[in-house]
Amino acid sequence: MSIDLLATGIALLTFFGISALMALSLNLEYGVAGIPNFGKALFVSIGAYTAGVTYTRLLPLLAGQEVIDPCGRTLADALQLRSDIMFTDPTAGWLNFAITLLIAGLIGGAVGYGLSYITLRLKEEWFLALVLLVSGEIIRIVVRGYDPIICAHNGLSGIAQPFVAVGDTQTASILFAALTVGFALIAFVYAERLIRSPYGRLLRAIRENEHVSQSLGKQVARIRAQVMFIGSFMAAVAGVLFALNIGFVNTNDYVVTLTLDVWVMVVLGGAGNMRGALLGAAVITILDRVTAIVAIQLNMAGSQWEFNYFRFILFGLLLLLMLRFRPQGILPERRDTTSVPLVFAEETADRGAGAEQPSGD
Amino acid sequence: MLHIDDVHKQYGGLLALSGASLEVGAGKLIGLIGPNGSGKSTLINVISGVTPLTSGRVTFDGHDITNHTADAVFRHGLIRSYQDPSVFFEMNVLDNATLPIRAQIGENPLLAPLRRLWRRQEETNAHASLDVLKSLQLARHCANLASDLSGGQMKLLELARTLQGAPKMMLLDEPTAGVAPPLAYQIFEAIRRLRDEHGITFLIIEHRLDMLFDFVDELYVMHMGAIIAHGSADDIAANPTVRDVYLGY
Repeated sequence: MSIDLLATGIALLTFFGISALMALSLNLEYGVAGIPNFGKALFVSIGAYTAGVTYTRLLPLLAGQEVIDPCGRTLADALQLRSDIMFTDPTAGWLNFAITLLIAGLIGGAVGYGLSYITLRLKEEWFLALVLLVSGEIIRIVVRGYDPIICAHNGLSGIAQPFVAVGDTQTASILFAALTVGFALIAFVYAERLIRSPYGRLLRAIRENEHVSQSLGKQVARIRAQVMFIGSFMAAVAGVLFALNIGFVNTNDYVVTLTLDVWVMVVLGGAGNMRGALLGAAVITILDRVTAIVAIQLNMAGSQWEFNYFRFILFGLLLLLMLRFRPQGILPERRDTTSVPLVFAEETADRGAGAEQPSGD
Repeated sequence: MLHIDDVHKQYGGLLALSGASLEVGAGKLIGLIGPNGSGKSTLINVISGVTPLTSGRVTFDGHDITNHTADAVFRHGLIRSYQDPSVFFEMNVLDNATLPIRAQIGENPLLAPLRRLWRRQEETNAHASLDVLKSLQLARHCANLASDLSGGQMKLLELARTLQGAPKMMLLDEPTAGVAPPLAYQIFEAIRRLRDEHGITFLIIEHRLDMLFDFVDELYVMHMGAIIAHGSADDIAANPTVRDVYLGY
C-alpha cells in the first residue's frame, strides 16, 4: 500500500483551486448578497459542457483541421485528433483554452442573470433557489440524452489541460495546479475588493432588507442579477477547469451533491467571509480526497465496506454541527465599512494638528 | 407637487383605499391623520411604489408615477420612511446614512474593486453624511451599529438617511412612533428646519396630534380609505365629523 505524496499534493492543490472558485462564487451570492443559489452544479456543468463542445468543434478549426464528429463511429478518430493537436500545437491549445473560459463564463453568467432577473422579480429569493435546483437537473438530463453536445450519457474524454504539450506529465500537472490556484486567487482578490467597496455595502443592505433598499433607489432585481452573473461566471470557469483536470466531461459529475458540497464549504468557512470560503474549500477538498483515497485502499485490501459513502455522512454531520453550534462559520463575516475609516482618518489627522475633534453633539 | 386622484386599493374583498384624493403643494408640511386601519399607510405605500394600486392616478412634480416601482419613485425625488424602525441594523450608522446617496461610482461592480476610482467620492459622501448626522445629534454614534441606537435615534437616523437621498418630498410614516416626547419634539423641529432651509415638502402620518397640530400647515383626515376632511389644524379640530370618527371629543 503506497501513496505518491507529490501526486496527491498536486491533485489536492488543483481540486482546492477549483473548489475555491465555486465556494467564492457561492459566498458572494449567498454570504454577501443573500441569494440562495441551489443551482451551483448547473453553472459548473455549463463550463464543463462548453469545454466539451469547444474541444471537439473549435479546437480542430483553430489548428486548421477538419472537425470530426466526436460521437459514434468516428469517436476514436476525433479523440486522436484532439489529442494530437494538444500535444503538437500548443498555440491552438492555449487559444482554445482562453476562448473556452470566456464563452463558458459568458454563457454561465448570462444564464445566471436571466434566471435570477426573471424569478427574483416574481417571487422571493427562495423561489429562485428552487428554480435553479430544478434547472440544474433538467439541463443535466437533457444533455445526458441529447447526443450532439457531449455524446449524451457516454460523455467525452480527451479534454486535455493546456500544459500537456510540456511533455512531462508531472510538470504539466504542477503547472495546471498553479494555474487553478492562480484563478482562485484572482477571484478571491476581486471578491474581497468588491465586498469592501460601496458595492459590498449595497449588497449587504439588500440582503438585510430588500424592500427598504428599493425604497432608497436601489434596483434590487438588477443588482441581484448582476451578482448572479458574477458568481455564475466564476462557477462556469471552475467547471472548465474541473473538466480539464479530470480530462473527461460526463453529466454524472454535476449532480445535486456537487451543489451541496459547495454549500458545506461556505457554511463551514463562514458565510460572507471570503477567507472563510477558501478555508471551507480547503477543508472539504482534503476530506473529500482523503475519504476517496481511503475508499480505494480499503477496496484494494478486500474490505466489505463501501467507504465512498462515508463522505456524505461526514459532510452532512459537519453541516448539522456547524448550523447547531457555530452558524456563523469558522471565520465569521467581518463588519467591513468604507465610509467610517475615511472620516476617522481625517479626524485623527485633525487631532494630531491640535484641531478640535468634530462631535456635533 | 403631489397629486393623488381617486385612488383605490383592493386586497381581495377588502377595500383599503376607496377613492382617496389629495394635493400637496411644494414646500408644504402636511399632516395625514385618521384612526388605525383608515388607509394612511396603504396610501403612502401606493404613492411610494411599495404596493401597486387598483385604480386612480398619482403624479409627482409633473410626472405620472402611478404604479412606478419604489426605486423609480425615489429617482423622482419622492422618498419615504417606514412606521417600524427600518434602518439597516447590521450596518454602522454612517454607512446607513451614506447608502442612499445617488450616483455612487463604487456601486458599479466593474469599478468597485478599483478603490482609487471611488475613494475620493466616498470620502466626500461620508463627510456629507457626517454633517447630516451632526445636525441630528447622531455624529458620535457614526461608527456604531445601527442596532445599538435607541428607538428615537433610529427614527432620527431614518430621517438622516432619507435626507441623503436628496429628496424633493418626504413621506414620513409615524416619524415619532415609540419616541420619548423631548426627542419627538426634536424630530419635528428637524423636519421644520429641513422644510425652511431646504424647501423639502413633507407628508407626515402621525398619531401625536398635539405636536403635529403645532407644526403642520394643513391636515388631511382619512376614514375608511377615503379623505373625509382637509384644512388647517383649527379647522380639523373643530370639524364635527373628524371629532366623531377620530378625535373622540
